[in-house]
Amino acid sequence: MSAQTEAEKNMAILLIEVLNLEDISAEEIDPEEQLFGDGLGLDSIDALEIALAVSQDFGVQMKAEDESTREAFATLKSLTDFVEKNKTT
Amino acid sequence: MTSNTSPLINRNLQDNIAYLSQDCRVTGDAKGFVSIQRFLDTTLALSKQLPDDKQHVINLCSNRYLFLVVLCATIIKKHTNLLPSNRNIETQERLSQRYENTYVIHDELHKSLYGRDKISPGLFVLNLNISKIKNIKPKSEIPHIDLNQLVAISFTSGSTGNAKPNEKTWNTFVASTKINSHYMLPRVQATIQLLATVPAQHMWGLETSVFMALFANICVVDSKPLFPQDIQELLKILPAPRMMVSTPVHLRALFASNIKYPKLETVLCATSPLTQELAIQIEQIFNAELREVYGCSEIGSMAVRASAKTELWERFEGIHFDQQESNQILAHTDHVNEAATLGDFIEMQDAQHFLLKGRTDDMIDIAGKRGSLNEINKVLLSFPELIDGIVFFPPQDRPIPRLVAIVTLKTNTTKKQLADHFRRFLDPVFIPRPIIEVEKLPREDNGKLPKKVLLRFYQSLFN
Repeated sequence: MSAQTEAEKNMAILLIEVLNLEDISAEEIDPEEQLFGDGLGLDSIDALEIALAVSQDFGVQMKAEDESTREAFATLKSLTDFVEKNKTT
Repeated sequence: MTSNTSPLINRNLQDNIAYLSQDCRVTGDAKGFVSIQRFLDTTLALSKQLPDDKQHVINLCSNRYLFLVVLCATIIKKHTNLLPSNRNIETQERLSQRYENTYVIHDELHKSLYGRDKISPGLFVLNLNISKIKNIKPKSEIPHIDLNQLVAISFTSGSTGNAKPNEKTWNTFVASTKINSHYMLPRVQATIQLLATVPAQHMWGLETSVFMALFANICVVDSKPLFPQDIQELLKILPAPRMMVSTPVHLRALFASNIKYPKLETVLCATSPLTQELAIQIEQIFNAELREVYGCSEIGSMAVRASAKTELWERFEGIHFDQQESNQILAHTDHVNEAATLGDFIEMQDAQHFLLKGRTDDMIDIAGKRGSLNEINKVLLSFPELIDGIVFFPPQDRPIPRLVAIVTLKTNTTKKQLADHFRRFLDPVFIPRPIIEVEKLPREDNGKLPKKVLLRFYQSLFN
């Protein structure tokens, strides 16, 4: 597993908090692992929860219609990069 | 026509039935509105393309307009729609074993944020994106459907595949839609634009965003937006009057997003209880009236309330509640063959009004999906590497509570393997999270695990 950056670690902590994932620790989320589907196995409600947390914490609005949002939801790394690039706060 | 039939659609042919948010390659329609006449022509064309040797259909179309076209085409063809509560491959296989000559229709494997749908390899599949709907001829007439025709079978439990089937005749939908429209729709003359955040396949979405378009003055949006900004942009495109069909989970996100929305006439919400606080907030941000609907998959919608103003539910005319000795409620109505035992306790206040008084123990509700704890525990117990374990629903101070599993697993077995096992059989919302591995569960000498002991043990794990 590749090492987490500081921003990725903070995002991992946010995901665990928002998604009831207390059985894993933030360090355990591989930045390159798929968040949805077979990886962490998140579902559509999680997508909504993540989008909500990201809009509240970073002021970034996510849109499912955008290809960039789909890409952002792929991994911890892509989600962190997307937020870093678009954040306003 | 004899009196035992009723028209497939009861609307003016020039009115609009759907708004396409993008070009529809399957039907050849451009982005924009579709008239009833065009819908009818398309539906009749598709009914002629359906296989003659099949009888049951799983309609997995994620585009709401195509779902509606497929539903009606299969009804004309006298095929019965199976409405499973999840899209799992195991569920499809179980249904095809239970129901003869089952096939799948879809509009391309649904590519969502959270993975791709899969289809059981043994099933005959009609992919509309490949086959397209061909030979659409103008000026079709409205077909009549036998009121006793079995048009759909829904399945009660949201959790596993061994759910109880609920047979729905054409009469069920004709009668229930008339009642639902009376209690749920705003009183306006113009065609109402309806945006739904829920899937067409589930009873709540089916009753509102599908059947109302056939019998009420409703034009449905073809997509199912999830994020607040997508919803806002779609609503802006639609002309007034507008309404939305949603769930507490989606409404909470809409309110929290802090963006401005166009005015709606009505917001309908169902599937799990809404707080009065959120109801008031939703009425404010949409400048709309919020109507919360109470129902169950067996009977459909049964009652409504203005949750911003009252706790009291108004039961629909024609729905009956019988109290049983166990205090549980048996709900029934003339247009559904079977009665349903409700997962909630009910206290009647007068002939038509009631309060909900808590849920019976087994039934749980997560993000609007209902499941049986008992059945979910059976899935846990079927995991071969399990030594002991239980899935339960602890009280949680979270917007979307989740199930928790406490387990003892055989050596060299990982929690990930157990999670994968759950994923094969359960809707994602019911997959326990967290899964906590312990050396031993706090069972009493007689093997029992009382709820109080379990909860205390669970809390001790976090201290």
